[in-house]
This record gives sequence, structure tokens and C-alpha cells, in this order.
Amino acid sequence: MAFKGVDYYGIEELLSDEEKMFRDTVRKFMEDEVEPLVVNSFHKEEPLPLEDLAPKLGELGMIGPQIPQQYGGGGANHIQEGLLCQEVERVDGALRSFVEVQSGLVMYPIWQFGTEEQKHKWLPQIASGKTIGCFALTEPNHGSDVAAMETVAKKDGDSWILNGAKEWISEGSTADISVVYARAEDGIRAFLVPRGTEGYTQTFMDKKGAMRCGDVGQISLNDVKVPEENVLPQSTRLKQVFMCLDQARYGISWGAIGAAMSCYETALNYAKEREQFGAPIASYQLVQQDLVNMLTEITKAQLLAYRLGRLLDAGKARHQQISMAKRNNVEMARMCARTARSLLGANGCSYDYPPIRHMGNIEAVYTYQGTHFIHTLILGQDITGIQAFTREL
Amino acid sequence: MPGVNMIVCCKQVPDPEAPPVVFKVDPATNKMTLPPEVKPVIGQYDEFAMEAALRIKDKAGGKITILSLGNKLARDVVKKTLAVGGDELILLEDETFEEGDSWSTAHALAMAIKKTGEYDLIFCGRQSSDWDAGQVGLGIAEILGIPAVPLARRVEAVDGKVRVERVIPDGYEIVEVGFPALITVTSELGSLRYAALKGIMAAAKKQPIVWKPSDIGLEPSQVGAAGRRTKLAKLFQPVKEAKGEIIEGETPAEAGTNLAIRLREAKII
Repeated sequence: MAFKGVDYYGIEELLSDEEKMFRDTVRKFMEDEVEPLVVNSFHKEEPLPLEDLAPKLGELGMIGPQIPQQYGGGGANHIQEGLLCQEVERVDGALRSFVEVQSGLVMYPIWQFGTEEQKHKWLPQIASGKTIGCFALTEPNHGSDVAAMETVAKKDGDSWILNGAKEWISEGSTADISVVYARAEDGIRAFLVPRGTEGYTQTFMDKKGAMRCGDVGQISLNDVKVPEENVLPQSTRLKQVFMCLDQARYGISWGAIGAAMSCYETALNYAKEREQFGAPIASYQLVQQDLVNMLTEITKAQLLAYRLGRLLDAGKARHQQISMAKRNNVEMARMCARTARSLLGANGCSYDYPPIRHMGNIEAVYTYQGTHFIHTLILGQDITGIQAFTREL
Repeated sequence: MPGVNMIVCCKQVPDPEAPPVVFKVDPATNKMTLPPEVKPVIGQYDEFAMEAALRIKDKAGGKITILSLGNKLARDVVKKTLAVGGDELILLEDETFEEGDSWSTAHALAMAIKKTGEYDLIFCGRQSSDWDAGQVGLGIAEILGIPAVPLARRVEAVDGKVRVERVIPDGYEIVEVGFPALITVTSELGSLRYAALKGIMAAAKKQPIVWKPSDIGLEPSQVGAAGRRTKLAKLFQPVKEAKGEIIEGETPAEAGTNLAIRLREAKII
């Protein structure tokens, strides 16, 4: 493996053998099988070939690692899940999105809120990478104010009829099965909608400046008939939606570290080799300050994510703590990407170096799975006791 | 147990991908020193040997026991062999095993293999990834009195025998040998498979067996540095000098001609 990690505070010593081994497996796989594909995929906005990659990811346990083995998952802990996200996003953020969507946003709700039949039917095939899922929550007019969603579900005998539209859905145009959220009379409900269902259309969203290696899609629902057996019975409130989002946000907090590590390593190596005014630019004080700032912020982010993972494993984590990790670590990665890009000068604008790709991707991450501002308000409410999301105008 | 009973010898070595500049030699002690950032790994050729055994297990079934010799072996490194499909891990682990030569290492491994009892095949890498001596595998076969087939690029167990494609300078030859036998494996066989999460979690439940010299019937004076039959006279880093020569000319064409003349004088063209 070419990458040896960024570990200024000896976090390696805090990891178990199994955590390190899984991290190393993912790191090697990403370097061997994915890294060679990324630049071309990003440049052409042609998603990575999931029909080939996803079964390999599944075989290695990279899809649904935290799901119990009885349902086809890996039985991993949260640190292993986090390290997975770190190593995947170090190479590409869109593939990390794919992994996290499958694990946290598709498999998790089926596992937590589905029937035994639904779990046995769907989880093993998604874990294998042979079936791809998506999480259809965001709408054209409703992102942060998800409670105001316009997609509706009406009971029709033993079935439900769905109408509405979803947008910015990772794997939205290619998913075989979609977890669609819709407003029913008794609350926000989750429906499993297979590809090909009448009235259900999936469209690829192109011309993006971020996540260009991944599929992001729109979904429209026109009188889509869903049988009762495809309703997740225990997902009846927004609370369950947020439980799913917490899973993904946790993974993002680690993924951001991966992107930042890639940017820092690139900038450090470049600064030591690139000579200007007769000396490596790493010998100049301003450049050293940039590198030190990056390393310090990465180290703080690692400690935050590590501790959060252990809290989650112990069942002690609060969702506000997940918000803090997501908020801090994505902002940290955003700073690292920009700093690395500028340290590389004009070369930083080339796809020959990863920072410009990470920079685009992390902009998307900054406002998805809860925008930076929304996480600020979640924390603000937690420490003041006053909600500042809405006010009377 | 049905299938093929296999033993794979895997050595923990400093990561060969570490930049050469970090490897230092202490001339006073004739020892190599390494900074802590150079992490240990399983030697690459030993990984090929492990993959060879796994391919036989895939087709013919059986059991794979991994042997590793050293001191303070990193568990996340050596347990990778269990995570990819090994069944049992035996560590010859003691400070007295340190600083051995090819003989003392082969001797200790052979004694450990005898203790494990019945076996059909032993796999070793063609050479270690640190000292590159390439003698331990063949030494084990000699001590055990079994045939050895070096440089395997493909292996297949067939009816109580193993068919080996072994690399020769201008191609390969096919050799068949009955059990028991020792095979050394080369890079053409292919990389070790990834350790999947399920294998890693299953390996977590297996504890390595640790043997000291006395467990394999040897005295501390017979292993490691004390058991060496060779003496390392001098260990040094060669000084590499890169000399350049500028070939000039009044015009680019003349410089090209001068370059061709110079290359011919040097018998390069």
C-alpha cells in the first residue's frame, strides 16, 4: 500500500487488530481497484462502474459492515465502519457516499424498522452489492425542512399510492430499490419501491461540479402503487428518518478525514519537492504554517471521530455529538482541500492531483446530510435550550 | 481431516515499501535500525505462498496452519493469514529467536513442523522480503528429508500429489511430486487475496498458539543469534553516485551526433 496514514497522535495504538486489518483491506482495495478509475470518471462525469465494483465491495464486507451477520452484514463496530468511510473517501467521496447510503440509509432503516421478511429479503442482496439501494428523502423544494415534504402517500385498500418528486438522491438513477419517504395521514412513512414500478421514474442528474464519480438522480412518483408488504412498519415519524441520517452523518465525519488526509499528504509531498526561489517551498514559513494547520485540524478531527465511534459502540452517543463531528470534520476537510489546492499553485487546479476533486466533493458534503448551518443550530439548541430553526415572521 | 493438510511459513518483515532513506545501518553492531513509522508486514513472497495454499484449499479442501518465527510479532499483521482463510496460527515467538540466520531459522521451523505432526505440503515464499537469502524453505525440506520444488507459479493438488508449474529462465516446467513436499512460491503465482470483513471477524475469535524454543525441543543456544552457523562480517549501505555528462554541440544536430558517438564509445549502442 502506498498510503501510510496520517497519525500525529498515535491513534493507531487505540485501534484493535480487527479494526486495523479491515482498514488495511479497504485501503489496499481502494488503491488497487478504484484509484486508477477515479480521474477519468470525475473528468467525464461518468459514474464509477458499480456493476463491477459493488459486488467486490460486498464480498469484502464494505456494504453494511455494521449489519448483523445473520442478515448478510459484517457485524463490525462503529470504528470499523468509520475507518471504511475514511479510506473510501480518501480516494473518492462519491463512492463513500455510495457505501454510506447503502449501509446507513438503506440497510439501516430496513434492519431497524422493517419486518423479518423484509430484512431477510433485502439485506443480504444489498450487502452482496448485487442490489443497489437509494434513500429518497430530499425534494426540489424541501431540503433542511424535511418535515414540509410534499410527496404524499394515500391508502388504497391493501396498497398505498405515492405521488411526488425527489431530487439529489445518491444512486437515484440506478438504484434497484428505493426507500421513499412520503407524508401519510399518520405521519412520515417509508416505502420500499423497486425499480420498474409503474409511475416510478429515475433520472441521472448531470452537469454537477461535485460527486462526479457517482450517480445522483431525480425520482418522480406518479400514482405509484406500493403494496402494504413494502411499507417499513416501524418507520412512522420523522424521528426514524433522523436516526438514519445520524448513521450517515457519523460515516461522513470519518470520510471527511480521509479527504483531508489525501489533501494534506499531497500538499506535504509537493511542498518538499517543489522548488521556488532556489529552495523547496516547504522551507518557507507561510507554507509550513499551512501544513501545520492542516495536520492539527486533521488530528483534532480524528480524535473527535474516534471518541464518537467508541461512544456509539457503547450506546452512549447523543445525536448532537454526531452533529458536532459532522459539522467540524467537514469544515476541516473543506479547509484542507482549499489549502492544499492553493499550495499546489496552478498544479492544484489539475486532476493530476486529488485536492481539486476533494474540494468539489466536500462542497456537496458541506450541505448534505444536514447543512453546516443546520448542525450549528442543532448544537445551539442543545446548549441554550432554545431552537433557532424557525421563527415567526 | 479430509483434504490437503498444509503448512505455510510466513515471516514478518519491515515494510519494503518504506523509502530506502529511512533504513539505517549501525556499523558498530552490524544491525539495521528502523524508525517506528516503518510498520511490519508479511513478506510479499510469503503472501504468495499463503495464496498458493488457499487456492488448493479452495479446490481440494483441507487445513492451513501458518507458522511465523520472531519476537514481538504484531498480531494485526500475522493474524491476516487467519483472516484470509488460514485455520491455525502458530507463533515461534521469543527474544531468543531474534537475529538468526537461514540455518537457525530453518532448523527451528522444521522442529515446529515436526511437532505439528502429519502434513502433506509446506509452502514458503521463494525468499524473504528483507534479507533475500532464499535458503530457509529449502533448508526446511533438507532437515525434514522431504522433496522441495522451488519457484512455483501455479500449484494444484491432484490425487495425493501436487502438480507444480515452476518458473525457469525461459518459461516454466511442470513437476509432479507426492506428499509430503515443500514448495517455494514466486510472484508469478499472484497476490494474496484481500482479507474480507467476515474473515477478519472470524479470525478475531482465534488465538495464536505461541511456542518457545523448549516447546519445539530446542535449547535457547540452538535458536536465533546463538544458533547461527554463519557470521555476518560486515553490513553496510553502498554509496550511490549518480554521475552525469553533458554532451554538447554547436547545433542540436551536432549535439545529437556527438551523443551517438559517445554512446557507441561506451558500447551502449
